[in-house]
Amino acid sequence: MIEFLQQAITGMMIGSLYALVAAAIVLVYKATHVVSLAHGQLVAFGALFFWLFIGGLGLPFWVGIFPAFILTALIGLLIERLTLRPLIGQPLIAAFLMTFAIFLVLEGVFVLYLKGETRTLPAFLPEGNLDISGISVPINQLIGFLAALFLFAALSLIFKYTKIGLGMRATAEDHRLAQGTGITVRNIFSYIWVLSAIVAVVAGIATANVMDIYYMLPYIGISGLIVAICGGLDSLLGALVVGLLLGVVENVGAAYLDPLVGGGVKDVAAYVVLLLVLLIRPYGLFGLVRIERI
Amino acid sequence: MRPCGVFDKSYGLDIAIIRTWQHWAILISALILLFLFPLFGSYYIISFMNYLAISVIVGLGLQIVSGYCGQISFGQAAFMAIGAYTSAVLTIKFGFSFWIALPLSGIMAGLVGIIGGAPSLRIKGMYLAMATIAIHFVVIWLILHMEITGSFKGLFPPPPSLGGFEFDTDERMFYIIMTVMVIMTYAARNLVRSKVGRAFVAIRDNDLAGEVMGVNIYHYKSLAFFVSCFYAGIAGSLWGHLITVVNAEQFTLMHALEYIGMLIIGGMGSIPGVFFGVLFIRILNELVMFTSPLLAKAVPWLGSSPAAALGLVAFGLALIIFLIFEPRGLAHRWEIFKASYRLYPFAY
Repeated sequence: MIEFLQQAITGMMIGSLYALVAAAIVLVYKATHVVSLAHGQLVAFGALFFWLFIGGLGLPFWVGIFPAFILTALIGLLIERLTLRPLIGQPLIAAFLMTFAIFLVLEGVFVLYLKGETRTLPAFLPEGNLDISGISVPINQLIGFLAALFLFAALSLIFKYTKIGLGMRATAEDHRLAQGTGITVRNIFSYIWVLSAIVAVVAGIATANVMDIYYMLPYIGISGLIVAICGGLDSLLGALVVGLLLGVVENVGAAYLDPLVGGGVKDVAAYVVLLLVLLIRPYGLFGLVRIERI
Repeated sequence: MRPCGVFDKSYGLDIAIIRTWQHWAILISALILLFLFPLFGSYYIISFMNYLAISVIVGLGLQIVSGYCGQISFGQAAFMAIGAYTSAVLTIKFGFSFWIALPLSGIMAGLVGIIGGAPSLRIKGMYLAMATIAIHFVVIWLILHMEITGSFKGLFPPPPSLGGFEFDTDERMFYIIMTVMVIMTYAARNLVRSKVGRAFVAIRDNDLAGEVMGVNIYHYKSLAFFVSCFYAGIAGSLWGHLITVVNAEQFTLMHALEYIGMLIIGGMGSIPGVFFGVLFIRILNELVMFTSPLLAKAVPWLGSSPAAALGLVAFGLALIIFLIFEPRGLAHRWEIFKASYRLYPFAY
């Protein structure tokens, strides 16, 4: 039992990373109905910029984090302005394919920069393990986990209570109606990409805290997308719950099934979960079921 | 491609693919030239053309399911892998001849494709695209973890032979691959203008409206996936016997993404578009391969071997440019050219 709980808690810590990446994707979807494949790269670049200022230049944490936010937000803004805005009015699948093109470009630049090397963040959070009746939790991961929870709460509040959040929800519902009530839809798109890029930086820092920055890091975007789809693309709550669950399923599955099938369960568990969810509840566990009209 | 003033005088002529004697002459001389090509082409060009032809077969399959039936699939590389492995297992472990293993591998990939396409019965758009990505990873994982597929080492299928004649070089395989490509292109061209093809287009344009009009969506979506994966399986089998080694490294998600990129650049919903797209992407890739050592010398920041990463950047930029400025792809440009040639001395 202790072992199971240990695996579950460790999984939850990883799961909170997936949930953060998924949150960034859900944000973009909520306002623009564009599903982004490119967020893994935003996460990776966020982590890389953070490394540049903390590890490369040796700035303290609270100073280094702001340039990382600004630079990544700039990438998000450029993506929106240069590639997605010309596609307004075209079928949504074109925007989806566009994010796939952005995925390729950013992936190429990322690989070019790293040249097959790895970058490791210096320890900027307290080390050590917290021991709760036999279950040990690394403190730096716990801080990342709590930061994720805090961010989710903040995002939900923004969407629920602020004027800009209301504007975003209105834009998601209907672009023309939103425009009619005096919301500048184009600005909303820019805001949402900036907000989403900031969430991606947090995800990137939390991820780089757990593992090295190397060429596979952007592929966390695919895990994030899986979580976003399983949770329902327009549900922040879904992203959080499914993200944590997926982390647990991967870790527990790997611990108990690996000896039976000869390893590698961790690589494939997420995809099997995705297929099952899509077959049983195509709109995700917490997603809004939309009725189609001709 | 008809000059001004040539008209169809009968219904049969109107629906024919090849309409005038000039077309026949061009087609036949092009085919003769193609099959004489190994006599004077260099080894590099021939192996490049083999690669192109195999990509065209995969692309045709993807065009049918994505371009015509509207179901974006990122799983093409996995189905190609299934074809390659089926063919390899049949020839190595069961002693089948290549000529029987080739169609069987297509059918095997097609049957798995029907299972893989099952999510399309409930979901569409990018949900389906994600499901096919999931299918890709599950298939590759199964290949890596099964006994019969040789796990990480892969398999080594023998080159095909016919009556003692071994097709063991690229020049010799050229004939098999080109023959299969021509047949597959002809089949695809005809499929998409038949009843089946029109049903696919109906599903793509509006599946609900299509269903109301009496198109059996489940049936035709499954059929589209079967045909598409059949093409991928055939291409995979040819690929395996061409380079006589099959392993999971050759069928990554990036390969599947490449095929979708080819369709975007070539043009969705057009058979010539597949050829344009494949040519564009492969030649772009070769150009990057050739220029990247020079670039690396000129700009030391790029490091010693930037070819792979620069290839990604070039591919992505090409896609962005096409999606913004010519979302209908090169095939649309070709149509415009054909239309203006038909009107040539006149403005309209």
